Amino acid sequence: MSQLGPPRTLLGRLARAIDWVIVALTLAILALAIINLNSASGSAWAGKVQTQIRWIGLGAAAAALVAALDYRVLYRLAYPAYAFGLGLLALVPLVGVMRNDARRWLGIGDFQFQPSELMKVILTLALARYLHDHGAAPGPRRLRRLLIPAALVLAPVAFIIVQPDLSTSILCILVATTLLALAELSLREMVGIALAGLTLFALGWGFFMRNYQRSRIDVWLNPEAYADNEGYQTIQAMIAVGDGGFLGRGVHQGTQNALHFLPYRDTDFPFAVFAEEWGFFGAAMVLTMFLCLILWSLNLASQARDRFAAHLCVGVAALFLWHIVINVGMVLQLLPVTGVTLPFFSLGGSNALTMLIAVGILLSVSRARRAGA
Amino acid sequence: MSELRKHEDLRVILPRLQVMSLLGALIFIALQARLCQLQILEGEHYTRRAERNFTDETVVEAPRGRIFASGGEQVATNRPAYTLFVTPRPRITVESDDPKKPPVGVRQPLSDAQIDEVAALIDFVDDADREAFITAIHAGRADERSGIYPMPVRPNLSWQEYARVQTRRAALGDWLEIRETARRHYPRGDLTAFLTGYVGEISQEGLASGVGAYRPGDRVGKTGVERQWENYLRGRLGKRSRVVDVHGRGVASPPAEALAALPPDEDPIPGQDIFLTIDLDLQRIAREAFADKPAGALVALEPATGKILAMVSVPAIDPNRWQQPIPRAEYLEWAQSPFKPFIDRTVQEHFFPGSTYKVVSALAALDDPTFDPAREITCDGFIKYGGRKFKCTHKHGPVDLHRAIVQSCNVYFYTLAIEDTLSLDRQEIFARRTGLGERSGLGINSEAKGRIPTEAFEAREGTYQRGVQLNSAIGQGNVNATVLQVAVLYAAIASGGQVMTPYLIDRIQTHDRRLVFASAPQPRSDLDRIVASDRNRVHAALIGVVNDPAGTAYSQRLPNITVAGKTGTAQVGADDRRRLKAAQGIGWDTTQDHAWFAAYAPAEDPKIAVVAFVEHGGVGADAAAPIAMRVIEHYLSRSADPGSAPLRPPGVAPALPGQRGDDSALPRGQRLGQRPGAVP
Repeated sequence: MSQLGPPRTLLGRLARAIDWVIVALTLAILALAIINLNSASGSAWAGKVQTQIRWIGLGAAAAALVAALDYRVLYRLAYPAYAFGLGLLALVPLVGVMRNDARRWLGIGDFQFQPSELMKVILTLALARYLHDHGAAPGPRRLRRLLIPAALVLAPVAFIIVQPDLSTSILCILVATTLLALAELSLREMVGIALAGLTLFALGWGFFMRNYQRSRIDVWLNPEAYADNEGYQTIQAMIAVGDGGFLGRGVHQGTQNALHFLPYRDTDFPFAVFAEEWGFFGAAMVLTMFLCLILWSLNLASQARDRFAAHLCVGVAALFLWHIVINVGMVLQLLPVTGVTLPFFSLGGSNALTMLIAVGILLSVSRARRAGA
Repeated sequence: MSELRKHEDLRVILPRLQVMSLLGALIFIALQARLCQLQILEGEHYTRRAERNFTDETVVEAPRGRIFASGGEQVATNRPAYTLFVTPRPRITVESDDPKKPPVGVRQPLSDAQIDEVAALIDFVDDADREAFITAIHAGRADERSGIYPMPVRPNLSWQEYARVQTRRAALGDWLEIRETARRHYPRGDLTAFLTGYVGEISQEGLASGVGAYRPGDRVGKTGVERQWENYLRGRLGKRSRVVDVHGRGVASPPAEALAALPPDEDPIPGQDIFLTIDLDLQRIAREAFADKPAGALVALEPATGKILAMVSVPAIDPNRWQQPIPRAEYLEWAQSPFKPFIDRTVQEHFFPGSTYKVVSALAALDDPTFDPAREITCDGFIKYGGRKFKCTHKHGPVDLHRAIVQSCNVYFYTLAIEDTLSLDRQEIFARRTGLGERSGLGINSEAKGRIPTEAFEAREGTYQRGVQLNSAIGQGNVNATVLQVAVLYAAIASGGQVMTPYLIDRIQTHDRRLVFASAPQPRSDLDRIVASDRNRVHAALIGVVNDPAGTAYSQRLPNITVAGKTGTAQVGADDRRRLKAAQGIGWDTTQDHAWFAAYAPAEDPKIAVVAFVEHGGVGADAAAPIAMRVIEHYLSRSADPGSAPLRPPGVAPALPGQRGDDSALPRGQRLGQRPGAVP
């Protein structure tokens, strides 16, 4: 592109600075998500949907700001941001807002948000910086090399898990593991980490998991046996998906959605609503768009100028990937029911803000790639 | 190391990025494959399940067919009523264990406390009633499949109960509701009790048999026409379907595809209306005639057709009583009453026919070629046979067949039995030929067969003695017949020797008056006609019973109608005396004989045959004959031309067609094997 010469106007320079692939994909997904969210919450363009649109506006502004920054600023901000995020998380048990027996929110007046959501991105920043600084270091003390990133991950996870919020904790660990997998760990180390993870999981299963979390596995394996109680949502989600057929029922024409047979339509199961109303055609299309976004960020990683940028891209890709896999897997009954959201589709301001900031990071990195190309 | 380097060489991580891209793509392909499986391959299945979610099918009750008497009077009809419905496993909203989730709706069976709360709203007649009510809800609660639907638990709520439930409903919840239903009503009460029968809740066995697709709580015919013609009366349920949301509430503007997927509505088809042959006026007269009789029965039918005009059994329980719960104490009182109010005495129980059976004996004797009906046998008031003394009512002196019937002389028939003219075999042939010993085919109230002794039967029972033959000849011993059978027998004599199948259903119509079924007279073509001359001889004797001054029913004759008839006074068997103790307390003398009177009139052209039976009523002529006479008189005087019945001075025997009123004019001589056309 450089052979075209530098753009002459400000607008032209701006147009070149923006990664239109990411912007187009994000806008398309956002548009479908908002239409779907509106359908899932009564097709009235009111209340929750309006709030969500405001959050997305805020998120877009934040993304623009982040995109405008040189990612090297992010590099410098990584550790302070980590400290700030951890501080917020530490505040939650003290002054957090209680909702449905869980203390996850920090509130200032009517404005409430979840620090744990923001922490996912901050953790990516901090890990990326650490792995950038130490990743290429040769040396035999591998174990010690792993101790610090492990501590970086487990400190916020410890705060999150006591909120309690198991799904966000697992998500943080998955994103961190993905980043470590990129950081030139040997196969042996990865197996070691996997084993450690499994042991932790088993311990957690035995000692820390609550009954409702444990029974979810039983329900997942045999939902029909719990059709009237715990398995109800799983089955209704499957029915909604299957009812969509190839072309779908049309927006707000899905009976599972419009007649409220499907529970948690706007938080946990918006994808089931989408699959019912847009059919295989729409659902596969949205999945493909998400996949393009992920592949594009991996592509950006491969073209990154340095490890920090590459790790940022992979971290954002992992964030999207694991969110989508866990949520859609749950809807399609490939995974047990958890509270993991589907980016942009699920109702939730903090989540929308976080994911948009992540997109902003991608844009920033992409700009740097171009600048250096 | 804390500064970003320019253009780091990242080629080392490229393979890992490629593997990651590949894995990511594979994961997405897996998700899309699963989507394809659910939406395209199994989509139909889930579409059906989604339809099951939002389709709410409600059943629309079909009104039960009504029952009418021959004049169009309603004897069974429907009235609006309120029924209490309970959903034993309602969907309720509970807080979920998971703090992150909002409350969810789950199916939860009713608690014992909730059931007690409903029970408190109902006026139970006794503890057993309450027990049954609670047991039914418990059973519904235990049934996971059908427990989620409302079930009727209490039909025909009283106004007090209705008001109580309505005021508590909001507090108790959606699982309690009142629906408008119909209740069965019998406007004539106990007058038609055994004819209409009654409806009641279907039994567990009836449900379990699976016949007719009944639902728990359905009301079905239990006795009488209600039971026998249940399939016609019942009608077919209709169906209504609508789109509901997850809470089961109707949706004002459902998605168009959901509306299109609903199964089509079906209108209920009302049950068919049944018109009985019963003459309600005559029925009432007959019932009134039994006013001072504690127990008895009457059957009146049209001899030429077998159409039943009146059918009364006393005592009877008002069928409307069964539409409400009955206190256990009262039920027991009925069940243990010596009057047996549950028994339809016209068909359900058989009795010794007594002297009314002498008609059969006479026909059997006339079949014997060696028998001379004019031969006189001297009655000394008793006859000794086999060391036993067989008694007559009194000393009749010399009697021939005619006088033996007119005066009801037992010794005459004993003698024929001793001489083997009246063998058990011959008696049996003629008993069967006149419809005794088998069900008449009316079909209601589990008709008894009656009993005709045969030599084989007696030998098997080890009771065969010549004495049996003697007792049989006068309708005692082991001869048993129902009131209806005796009526059919006399109707056959009246109509000229042809036994007809009695029938109670005149026609059946749909609710919009299309004819479904119409009865036609059905002669029993499987039974040989009685030889006309024999019939005429018996007929003449039966006229004599009422019209000859020596006749047993002479005192009961009607002034302007020639009635032919036969009295009967059946001695009560030994086992009946066991009821003595139970009956003594209520002033019912069960040592008294059963009184019978079987008759038809007018003798010249019989229009009605009536059999009146008074249980432990005493002498037939005194107890039963007045009842039958009242029915006959009422029926004939009400006919189109009451003057058509010839007036004649009492005591003068009327002339038979083609005869001069003199017994001696009857043809004599051999008649065995004669067919009707071969009469000389």
